[in-house]
Amino acid sequence: MCAWKYKRIMPKIAVAKLKLMEPKEIIDLAGMSLHHISSILEKTPYKADISEIGTKELSANSLEDALLQNFIKTCEELMQLSPKRIRLFLSTFLMKFEANCVKTILRAKQAELDADEAMKYIMPVGRLDEARCRKTLEISENIADVADSLSDMEYGSVLEKAFAVYEEEKIFYLLEVAIDRHVYSKIWRAIGKLGGLDKKIARTVIGLEIDATNVKTILRCKAMGIREDQISRYLIPVSEVFGEKELEELIREPDIQCFINSLVRLARDAMARDYQYIFAEIQKQNVTSLTTLEKVLDRGLIDTSLRMIKRYTPFFNIGLLLAFLNLKWFEVRNLRAVIRGSEAGIPPDRVKKMLVLPR
Amino acid sequence: MSIELASVHPTRLELLRLRRRKSMAEGIVDILKKDLDALTLKLFELVKKIPSLRDKMYKTLREAYDLFIEAEMISGSRKIEGVSLAAQPIDFKISEGKKKGLLGILFPILQLSEGPRVSGPRFNLLDTSANLDKSASKIKSSFYDIVKLAEIEESVRILLEVMAIKKRQMNRIQFKILPQLNAAIRYIELILEETERQDAVRVRVLQRKRKERALKHA
Repeated sequence: MCAWKYKRIMPKIAVAKLKLMEPKEIIDLAGMSLHHISSILEKTPYKADISEIGTKELSANSLEDALLQNFIKTCEELMQLSPKRIRLFLSTFLMKFEANCVKTILRAKQAELDADEAMKYIMPVGRLDEARCRKTLEISENIADVADSLSDMEYGSVLEKAFAVYEEEKIFYLLEVAIDRHVYSKIWRAIGKLGGLDKKIARTVIGLEIDATNVKTILRCKAMGIREDQISRYLIPVSEVFGEKELEELIREPDIQCFINSLVRLARDAMARDYQYIFAEIQKQNVTSLTTLEKVLDRGLIDTSLRMIKRYTPFFNIGLLLAFLNLKWFEVRNLRAVIRGSEAGIPPDRVKKMLVLPR
Repeated sequence: MSIELASVHPTRLELLRLRRRKSMAEGIVDILKKDLDALTLKLFELVKKIPSLRDKMYKTLREAYDLFIEAEMISGSRKIEGVSLAAQPIDFKISEGKKKGLLGILFPILQLSEGPRVSGPRFNLLDTSANLDKSASKIKSSFYDIVKLAEIEESVRILLEVMAIKKRQMNRIQFKILPQLNAAIRYIELILEETERQDAVRVRVLQRKRKERALKHA
């Protein structure tokens, strides 16, 4: 792989990574007032987005929107500087946020909200800018109309296919799963178009993200008492480590302990070293709660991203980009947790427990 | 059943009837006292259940709200609000029944039942955390406690109403009917005593007159 094509993006990421907040700085924000937090965040790369919020409008929601806007803007900036194949990958990666937008439009239509009310929940991104979202909301009477109005994008055809099943079973979630499944499949295909080390790293990091999502979904479905034959409909079986067959095997496990043992065995069979580290930690901690498991899996994602930089050279591959995106995403998530916790008056100790920080 | 002294016939038969009524009223007061004791015991039994049930309900709700805030902290409050827009609602039905309890009082029975179960998840699992499931399940279980609490509080209300009625009945007998009966009995007794005294005087006068007549003839 030619290192020259990374000449513009790598320095940018390296600088942006240095500007990320230190874990201690985030922890120290817990328990502060929203005004205090926003004034501290104004000294960080979030400054431009936070300063747009008026003093009277300052709330957990407005701060959360500003943080997300910043994350999306950062992704878009990196996309502009990226070489062609990475740009294609990043544009599909941003489809996750577009998918959120589509799902929110669908939910708003299901709840029969008017366009103004619905726009409060929507974060316009990529091709679905504010004007497009508003237009879709205004011209659509119901969910079927949303599929029609998005027919010029791939979401239209995905929704049309899923709509037949929805009509039959009246499970709204199936529409959302169809969109998520489409987006993740597309991201997986985009990874396939990357070459050499980039492909290897991206498959490990994004594969882990998708598999962690599937693992969480299976356990939550089982806890809800959903039938085993139904669970597979809510999964995204694109990864190589946990493909359809492996996921079916996991669904059949009777309890969480057997489930974790199976995860370890399957990761060993697939020779997925990074998966083994995470599942070994889950086994070591004797995790029985879903919340703890979610946290360990999330932290595993950050650790794996950082491990990729150490394992391969930090520059001239996608590793640094993915590590930065994950670190940035979890920074946004942690800040969001601190802000919501401060608004709800949650003690700093409890907020600290909710944060997902790298080791 | 107030008794007007003017309408009372001062006869022995009436006296016997009034005494019978008095002993019956005293018997009723005894029964009412025993009923009231039994009702009080039942009231204490029910009232004792309320604080523990209320504490349990508050605890479950507090845990549910804490978990909900944690879910918001993980996924973002905007996202949770958005997800909730299309969440599959659960239909709860409360069936009301009556159960014959102490002294034949009809106590309410409130039965909470869930409507037909949705076969899939109620909301998006990808966009939310497990804390939201736990919070929803805690809120659901608190509904059962709320309904049970409502059932007990309604039973207490009914019990207090019955106790108030019994107390009123007892007071009416003790402080109105029994004094009236006592007054009527006393009145008849006085009249009968007076009549007896007059009869005795009349007998003595007649005996004296008979004696005088006998002496005159002798």
